[in-house]
Amino acid sequence: MKAGLNLIEASVLLENNETSSVELTKIYLDNINKGKELNCYNTVSFEEALKEAESSDKRRREKKSKSRFDGIPIGIKDLFCTKNIKTTASSKILSNFVPTYESTASQNCLNAGLISLGKLNCDEFAMGSTNKTSYFGSVINPWKSKNSDAHLVPGGSSGGSAAAVAADLCIASLGTDTGGSIRQPASFTGTVGLKPTYGRVSRWGIVAFASSLDQAGPITKTVEDAAALFEIISGYDSKDSTSSIKQKENFYDNLNSSVKGMKIGVPKEFKSDDLPTSTQKAWDDCKKLLQENGAELIDISLPHTMDALPTYYIIAPAEASSNLARYDGVKYGIRENGKNLIEMYEETRSIGFGDEVKRRILIGTYVLSSGYYDAYYIKAQKVRSLIKSDFNEAFKRVDAILTPSTPSTAFEIENEPKDPVQTYLNDIFTVPVNLAGIPAISVPFANDENNLPIGLQLITNSFEEQKLLNIAKNVQDTINYTPNLDKWWIK
Amino acid sequence: MINGWELVIGIEIHAQVKSNSKLFSSSSTDFGSGPNSQVSLVDAAMPGMLPVINKFCVEQAVRSGIGLNAKINNKSIFDRKNYFYQDLPQGYQISQFKDPIVGNGFIDIVLDDQTKRIGIERLHLEQDAGKSLHDQDPNLTFVDLNRSGIALMEIVSKPDMSSADEAVEYVKKVRSILRYLDTCDGNMEQGSLRADVNVSVNKPGNELGTRCEIKNLNSFKYIHSAIIYEAKRQIKLIESGESINQETRLYNIDTGETHSMRSKEDAHDYRYFPDPDLLPLEIENKWIEEIKSTIPELPDQKKNRFIKDYNLNEYDAGVIVSDKATSDYYEKVVKNRSPKLVTTWVTSELFSVLNKKNLSIDESPVAYDKLGELIDNIESGKVSNRLAKDIFEEMCEMGKSPGEIIAEKGLSQISDEGELEKLVNDVLIANPKNVEKYKNGKDKLFGFFVGEAMKLSKGKANPKLLNELLKSKLNT
Amino acid sequence: MEFDKDSLLKLGKLSKIKIDDDKLSSLSADLGSILKFIDRLQSIETDNVDPTSNSLDQSLVMRDDIALDENSATEILENAPDKELDFFSVPKVIE
Repeated sequence: MKAGLNLIEASVLLENNETSSVELTKIYLDNINKGKELNCYNTVSFEEALKEAESSDKRRREKKSKSRFDGIPIGIKDLFCTKNIKTTASSKILSNFVPTYESTASQNCLNAGLISLGKLNCDEFAMGSTNKTSYFGSVINPWKSKNSDAHLVPGGSSGGSAAAVAADLCIASLGTDTGGSIRQPASFTGTVGLKPTYGRVSRWGIVAFASSLDQAGPITKTVEDAAALFEIISGYDSKDSTSSIKQKENFYDNLNSSVKGMKIGVPKEFKSDDLPTSTQKAWDDCKKLLQENGAELIDISLPHTMDALPTYYIIAPAEASSNLARYDGVKYGIRENGKNLIEMYEETRSIGFGDEVKRRILIGTYVLSSGYYDAYYIKAQKVRSLIKSDFNEAFKRVDAILTPSTPSTAFEIENEPKDPVQTYLNDIFTVPVNLAGIPAISVPFANDENNLPIGLQLITNSFEEQKLLNIAKNVQDTINYTPNLDKWWIK
Repeated sequence: MINGWELVIGIEIHAQVKSNSKLFSSSSTDFGSGPNSQVSLVDAAMPGMLPVINKFCVEQAVRSGIGLNAKINNKSIFDRKNYFYQDLPQGYQISQFKDPIVGNGFIDIVLDDQTKRIGIERLHLEQDAGKSLHDQDPNLTFVDLNRSGIALMEIVSKPDMSSADEAVEYVKKVRSILRYLDTCDGNMEQGSLRADVNVSVNKPGNELGTRCEIKNLNSFKYIHSAIIYEAKRQIKLIESGESINQETRLYNIDTGETHSMRSKEDAHDYRYFPDPDLLPLEIENKWIEEIKSTIPELPDQKKNRFIKDYNLNEYDAGVIVSDKATSDYYEKVVKNRSPKLVTTWVTSELFSVLNKKNLSIDESPVAYDKLGELIDNIESGKVSNRLAKDIFEEMCEMGKSPGEIIAEKGLSQISDEGELEKLVNDVLIANPKNVEKYKNGKDKLFGFFVGEAMKLSKGKANPKLLNELLKSKLNT
Repeated sequence: MEFDKDSLLKLGKLSKIKIDDDKLSSLSADLGSILKFIDRLQSIETDNVDPTSNSLDQSLVMRDDIALDENSATEILENAPDKELDFFSVPKVIE
């Protein structure tokens, strides 16, 4: 059987009895074992996965499959609570936490018969864009620069989710995206990453980072897979008050790849002299491609693009500072002893949280504190309105917006700048989308001069994922990007 | 006024919403089950849990707002109030800060026949905290989250009260309204209704003084004495040249004093911000109208009706309607009976027994139909008022019906003419001299014959019939 | 730009994060840098702009008042670092 199956290919093999769920699951568990060095998984569910695979095969024999994807092994970011399986958010403070419940999104996967191979490493509480903030250590990007043997970051925060798909340690995965945490690692690993419209996928049971921005989505090998997995996890959930009441759609069945007559916007604010030549070239090539395929290019302006990142770094930490108050050593997670309650809190949280999480809690506390609330938090919420209205204006003229996903390709793990703000700049192209609550996808387009993948980002208006996926499929089918990834970790 | 100082009092009432389940989770609000047995994943703030609002709690808040003559806001926002405490699992309380569900309103209180209007600033919905037990272990505090997440209404008054009596009347009135609306059971002992009282003092004409907040008062008595103590404490401080610190104080029920809460090591900064897990709460006018149509008769309306229909005086009407159960009891007894008699029996006899035994009307040893039966016996002349009191006492002690007691003890009045005639004849035969004196004009002796006849009947002779009979015998 | 150290310690108190002396300098530098970065917003004109706290354009969906007995005390306390009987327990709190 060929390596590197995608979701659709695997479903065809299962359908034709050319493989079984047990066989597939074993192959991927074996891949995980061989790829330990990549540090993609925090927890591997060896026994549970095989047991579930057996049940899946039995269902298929009895023609009682839960869906056409029944029996396909996937990975789940360690931010989704999984019943009886450790869920850590890659934090020390939750390093011993075993939920008694299953998140809606992962439950939807189980309902479709998908097999969970385990929990994927990520930045601690999804705060980061390098995966270096994980308590369990950095995930290593399966890609290497052709000129260097240095380990590269996979991006973050869903670094494990993206790296695992790229390295065939699962067929597809679930990630979450608060400021780019699906798209940026997808871009760094040559995978497809979809951040749905805010409210499409239930947040119930996902460890919260910034409630008004967090959104779960798929990381996959193809646009078709993204459509299929997105369809599985999406839908209204009465347990999440911010879940959209809109009807679930059949994204996969309704996929087509026509862009004829579509208007594609190119925002001038994303142009920069700092952009690597290869990224600029990929962007230009994609514009040309879409034009050749019948789309019309339109220059647009999103005037508040550069304000998005500071806005994000007020809103996200503010919400996080409050969301993370529950980790206090009382109900779950680790506890460090103290002379009294206050000391217990302070010890537990100081030892339990890593540096980046602490920085964001402190900043978030600051921008909400009395005397600063209006100047920072309310201000940021107002600028958020401006950013949203920029997009609203743009979507009056265009169907979709095309930008690079990231300002650079994957960089060396050891090369991270000292100043946290320099790291934050990784998310400069992805963050505006979260603030506006709209959907976006990163599709791999080409490799740069170092043979590292470059992702491009497509953005549409709220709830227009179908259009988004269709355009992405057009790009994918036209370029036919095949990652020539050398599996250096298999000795 | 105390010693020439004016008091300014504002009150925040925390009233537990009567509902089956909690404000943002589906766990039960019942009292009395085992620790942490009514705690959902949401109440325990498990990672990834999200709040979903209880429609009935919203309805209850709207209903309460209508009862407080207040403006219902079509759009309100839930905010997070952030602080760390062992009984606050989320690390924040979901409350309403800038945009509450209910805005300005008012209620009228009556004190010494004077009506005073007290402004309501707002009513908002918020979550209750869990419960801490400090006395179970020498080194540990235990936490029970059963109460965590139960819906509370915080009702904030304007600083419109100027005496402890007014403050107590205000809380009584709010409690009465909520109980009429069935939005809060008003049980203060169990903590379903508690008050935080803000007190300041100033000289007439001067600007307002610095206020202190006395937290968590759960009886009218404590509210009253805490205010008096606190006002005197502030006056004493100011008169001795010191200044008042704006602070939160606790009332010690044993000493009757207020004392400063041990100030937390860091100043509070609750960092309120809109809860991003919840969208704005929108309430359409149509729904408000629907709720309005279900509002029952409230104390003020009922009082006016009682005065009109039953000819009650202000005071009695006020006392009877202040408690919905009492007014219901009264109305059941008064049906087809003399309002005057019923009022007397309810407000003096029944109330004095209830007070003595510290019972609520629902726990009354005398059910409304039994009291009705007794009053029927008085009205028909079967028992005298005096006897009725004895019977009532017996009813209270033994829980029997008046019929049973009358039958058992032979307490029924003698109204039978033949029996009475025999009594009268016996008396007249036994006192021939006095009969003669009476007939010779000594009218005053009439009372003597009545007395003798009563004595003979062991007090059971129907006095009216006896009088008539004696008169006709003696005057022939 | 450095973040004032006293303010930093106060934030630590508010958020219950102990800040060790040896981390104080680097942390105040980090926060200073972030603060400078977010201060960029101050120059934006927002006088007539309404704040957005959630991008989802929908009003709050309400649930019916039905009490469910979903979780046992055992389940709720399963992950508790310290528990006594059916209570969570914490170091003694003096009120």
